[in-house]
Amino acid sequence: MIRRGAQMSLSLAAIAFAAVSGLAEAGGITISTAAGDKIITLEALKERYERPDAIPFPNNNPYTEDKEKLGKKLFFDPRLSRSQIVSCATCHNPSLGWSDGLPKGVGHGMEPLERRSPPVLNLAWALSLMWDGRAHSLEQQALMPITAPQEMNMTMDDVVDRLRMVPGYRELFSEAFGETDSINAKNIVAALATYERTLVSHKAPFDLWVEGDEDAISAEAKRGFVTFNTKARCSACHAGWRFTDDSFHNIGLETDDVGRGKFTPPSVAIMKYAFKTPSLRDLRMQGPYMHDGSMADLDEVLEHYVKGGRKSPNLSPEMRPVKLSKTEQSDLIAFLETLRGPSVKPQLPDLP
Amino acid sequence: MDQIRRVIIALAAVLVWALVPNAVQAEEHELVITHMEIAETNIRPKVGDTVKFINQADIAHNLYLTYEDGTVQNLDTQFPGMSKTAKIERSGKVVVRCWIHPVIRMEFDAADAD
Ligand SMILES: [Cu+2]
Repeated sequence: MIRRGAQMSLSLAAIAFAAVSGLAEAGGITISTAAGDKIITLEALKERYERPDAIPFPNNNPYTEDKEKLGKKLFFDPRLSRSQIVSCATCHNPSLGWSDGLPKGVGHGMEPLERRSPPVLNLAWALSLMWDGRAHSLEQQALMPITAPQEMNMTMDDVVDRLRMVPGYRELFSEAFGETDSINAKNIVAALATYERTLVSHKAPFDLWVEGDEDAISAEAKRGFVTFNTKARCSACHAGWRFTDDSFHNIGLETDDVGRGKFTPPSVAIMKYAFKTPSLRDLRMQGPYMHDGSMADLDEVLEHYVKGGRKSPNLSPEMRPVKLSKTEQSDLIAFLETLRGPSVKPQLPDLP
Repeated sequence: MDQIRRVIIALAAVLVWALVPNAVQAEEHELVITHMEIAETNIRPKVGDTVKFINQADIAHNLYLTYEDGTVQNLDTQFPGMSKTAKIERSGKVVVRCWIHPVIRMEFDAADAD
């Protein structure tokens, strides 16, 4: 045990040195994971974050350019809402990192919503959607805000009726779905989901570093990456190239919202007040953060994880206090900055 | 001396019990959880057998079994290094999932008890 501990601190020191001096060669350095029972190289650790080559599309809704084109118009069209002033892009605004920059979303009649609007990038890979995971596909998800009375407050029948009155849409739907009367709920969400799947983060400096460009990120960011994966254990949940496990954790916030607990048996204590891990790619450094937008900046977020969250029987087992020095905290933030690539900027569509 | 004799008798009893073929004796099957996966194995337990889930990941899991009739058997939170055991209650398809990590999913068939 003692030997393993000694080995771990030695190799962590080695990696920090190597990161600073740019010596982190493939296979040259080993680190231990939090469990202390695995030793992997820095290169192997980087491999866990390699970007995929292609966007996955489901067999029941394969990609076509016509569907993407139609889906994009629908995404930006406020006529999908009862008020005709709220489109998907109102809360998922590309200029605000595909969110709205607000602590909590604003719905129909300018009423505040319960949760923060999550960004919609990289969702083609998502296994569960919504903060509480109640949607299992983008097709299923797309229906929810459109038909939620507090959000866009429509029925799909009303959306269909409205789109049928627009000649341009009749043409776009027949191009996308090859039928004469193809404006229906199923095709609307199929097109929206197809467009959303094409919204993928561009390569960030971190990706270039993973690919082997040692100069792509700073020494601070490299140290931050190691801290992220070891001492701070951020990677216990923010795992993989999207920096999310698509899973649910109660991180000990003060909240009355049971989150995932609404869909799990009451006996599963740790799902009460649990929410889906958000991705850290293209993180908006201006905040706000958390499912309820309750934290204004990243210092506050890190401070929360240092303390380990409010103790309760519902707290995630991954939440435990961790001492992080000011340097370690600023290294982590420097690392998070490197996950930001050039913005995903669509050319705004002309609506029919 | 008396104590040693008693220990020997007890050990012999255990040995005899273990060696006698017993049709109703339950078997234990083992499954290992690595990071966010249950390692692939072909188990076919009978009703009354136990399935032991060994968490070799460095994160906690909370597995549950769902039987064909919809009955759910919850195994509670298991920390890294911890094992949890489920006694198979019904035959047919059994789906294993994790409350925390929806990506975890495996299935096996449970046979009727002999
Ligand atoms: Cu799990």
